[in-house]
Amino acid sequence: MPMVLLRCDKDIPEREKHIYLKAPDDDPKDFLPLANSPTIPGTLSERGCAFCGAKLVIGGVLKDTIQMIHGPIGCAYDTWHTKRYPSDNGNLQIKYVWSTDMKEPDIVFGGEKKLEKAMHEAFDEMPHLKRMILYTTCPTALIGDDVKAVTKRVMEARPDVDIFTVECPGFAGVSQSKGHHVLNIGWVNEKVGTIEPEITSEYTMNFIGDYNIQGDTFLLQQYWDALGIQVIAHFTGNANYDDLRGMHRAKLNVVNCARSAGYIANELKRKYGTPRLDIDSWGFNYTAEGIRKISTFFGIEEKGEALIASEYAKWKPKLDWYKARLKGAKMAIWTGGPRLWHWTKAVEDDLGVEVVAMSSKFGHEEDFEKVIARGREGTYYVNDPNELEFFEIINAIKPDVIFTGPRVGELVKKLHIPYVNGHGYHNGPYMGFEGFVNLARDMHNAVHNPLFNLARTDVRATPVVELKEAV
Amino acid sequence: MTAPALDEVYGYVQERCLWQFSSRAWDRTENIDGVLGTLADLLTNTPVNPSSPTERLFLADARVLADQLRERFPDLGSLDAAGVRALLESLRERVTQVAITQSRNHELHEKAY
Ligand code: SF4
Repeated sequence: MPMVLLRCDKDIPEREKHIYLKAPDDDPKDFLPLANSPTIPGTLSERGCAFCGAKLVIGGVLKDTIQMIHGPIGCAYDTWHTKRYPSDNGNLQIKYVWSTDMKEPDIVFGGEKKLEKAMHEAFDEMPHLKRMILYTTCPTALIGDDVKAVTKRVMEARPDVDIFTVECPGFAGVSQSKGHHVLNIGWVNEKVGTIEPEITSEYTMNFIGDYNIQGDTFLLQQYWDALGIQVIAHFTGNANYDDLRGMHRAKLNVVNCARSAGYIANELKRKYGTPRLDIDSWGFNYTAEGIRKISTFFGIEEKGEALIASEYAKWKPKLDWYKARLKGAKMAIWTGGPRLWHWTKAVEDDLGVEVVAMSSKFGHEEDFEKVIARGREGTYYVNDPNELEFFEIINAIKPDVIFTGPRVGELVKKLHIPYVNGHGYHNGPYMGFEGFVNLARDMHNAVHNPLFNLARTDVRATPVVELKEAV
Repeated sequence: MTAPALDEVYGYVQERCLWQFSSRAWDRTENIDGVLGTLADLLTNTPVNPSSPTERLFLADARVLADQLRERFPDLGSLDAAGVRALLESLRERVTQVAITQSRNHELHEKAY
């Protein structure tokens, strides 16, 4: 039973290796969905491209950096403005996008001159910006533009600027996961250690894999301030380019999103001996545990306990109000990968919610090991899902709410199932204690939204002829 | 009082602890041996004196886990030091088996990160 071939997949039986239904007494050694593997022809994947993983997820968050996208204009638009990661300097990274706008003649004759001109133009137009990340895309990688040589020329002409190149075109990997990898490894090899940060506390850490979605970084920063811990670099929420060049000086790397940024923590451990602590920064129980571990590492346990006590006093009654109203609700999590294992026990322990189906676009097998260890029996675990599978699973499990992105979210709304934005959030931040109350509130408002009952009611007086699909 | 069964303790550790699932086999081995070794010391009241940042991290992970296990499995207190160490050695073997030697994760033995 445990690996499942859904009815909708009867013509693509390879999908059976990607869908697991956890049964009682399953041996964890026997079942693991195949992951981080090429999408099967015949399935309409909802994955993003590798370039998107580098730019939209990680690099594009930086608040003082020109994001130069060397490609057709669509590559820039598709990776801009769809994630809500604010900054404390006026949201430069959300307002502006830069592209070389490659056209047919540039593809035929080469785009290096156009790129060089665009880089100078961007620095001239925004003289206060001195940092740039330059990304290649499918077309400019295919024609072989030498972007490193162009970068070298621009840096020689402008000694006060620093530029990082990410050569990860859309086709470089099976999903956006490849882009995370290329950016992580490139950064640690080329940029970490090129600046010495100012040290202001004996307790220093990097907080890795948090992208300040709707202010997550701002919220967590209150905790680190209360504990007297200096965060040398947030990778990359609300961060400056140069913060990330000083990551080698932190005494501890705390990792939240191990999928998009575990690589840099691993490399920092290998190169500089900095230990890597993995935590979950969503949920009460987990956030408290993370704070306890960090405090123990630095020998400031009393401060940690005081912080946890004051946050519990402030937020736990509010969480419990929602828990009383959410207990037993059935939830599906259809996101990128790590939120599956971060959230499944957190919503169960803190809110009494049952997670009945989870799917991952770009998770690796490591992510499935974690989520199957934490998830419920009778729950579906799906790698690289397609829409027909969503429909079939919805019919099987009848969720009360689905945490997913706007594209799939709009789809499930038409089935009169509420969704909460599991990527960019509805009304976040969702991390930490206060954040989890926000998540509970959004889930409560979705589950108990009376509009869905109204929408389900067919008010037409006479039955209407059903539309049939064209054959 | 009866000592907690290995299955129960393993079930809790498997669900709770991210350190067993790090990226590569060598990281997993280091973490499993480091954290569970320190945990054995803590649960047998053996002094722990970390001498490196990595050992300090093992202590942080192990201390939180020790508190959770004591709370969840009060019968742990009925075991003497040898009993605790035997239980944790069986636990280490089980975690190693599931997370490393019999894991179906294709990336565990890749040479680079
Ligand atoms: S797949 Fe290629 S062409 Fe399409 S957006 Fe990604 S980088 Fe651009």
